[in-house]
Amino acid sequence: MSQIIDARGKACPTPVLMAKGAIAQGAQAFTILVDNTTAVENLKRLAGNQGFAAAVREEEGGTFALDFTRGEGCVSCEEAVNSPLPPPGADWAVFVGRDIIGEGDRELGTNLMRMFFYTLTQSEDKPGAVLFMNAGVRLPTLDEQVAEHLKALSDAGVEIQVCGTCLNFYGLTEQLKVGMVSNMYDIVTRMQKAAKVISL
Amino acid sequence: MDYGLLTFASTYGAIYAQKLLEPVTAVRVMPVLREISLGCGMALRFPPEDLEGVRQALAGSELKPGDYAFYAISGSGSALRAEPL
Repeated sequence: MSQIIDARGKACPTPVLMAKGAIAQGAQAFTILVDNTTAVENLKRLAGNQGFAAAVREEEGGTFALDFTRGEGCVSCEEAVNSPLPPPGADWAVFVGRDIIGEGDRELGTNLMRMFFYTLTQSEDKPGAVLFMNAGVRLPTLDEQVAEHLKALSDAGVEIQVCGTCLNFYGLTEQLKVGMVSNMYDIVTRMQKAAKVISL
Repeated sequence: MDYGLLTFASTYGAIYAQKLLEPVTAVRVMPVLREISLGCGMALRFPPEDLEGVRQALAGSELKPGDYAFYAISGSGSALRAEPL
């Protein structure tokens, strides 16, 4: 019988940490119980990154059960778990930790942010990822112009990652218009993979 | 014309016009195209069919005709054309 990890009632990133702990101990198959969709998405990504298949079952009382099974014949999985991070790649990333550009007038800063993302959509050299944290999460949720530009970037293959803890803090989780709800692990990993990270 | 573009003599004018035009058209803020000016500036983009409504809104505003200019934009990249209106 496979191990059952009860991560219900635990906030991001605890469920991911608990699953990571089981994987580090060599578990080949286990089930983890969570009670929110952000945790489900984070765990599915963890499974993908670590060479596991994750089947999601929705149970009564708002509980989700994810059955993790290590992919068969996957030689590279051990390497993926144990090897150091890959060297920085050729692409670049933008980190957005606030909802305006620079210090000073908010209205001007709001418009500079919109112009920044408009200009990115028009550029040949697009970033590999745009990462939003803290007040930056107001942009893919509340700012229609920036959200529009982010959709165009996403359609062009740019990853849009939005901090789930921050969305939750500002009560904006349900208002996300573009991008995926992400966590500190994925955001830091994406930064480490980029050749350069530009912070706004 | 793919879209209409408004440029301004000042950033204050651009922000004033943005608020004025938001109820009139789907106005979008963007940098002034290099083809129009090499200076750093804020421009407003709007759908071509709203040109007349935008003109009327500005004509009845605090902005004077010399405070802003209209352009018709078509194409993109090296084929981009910006014609004063």
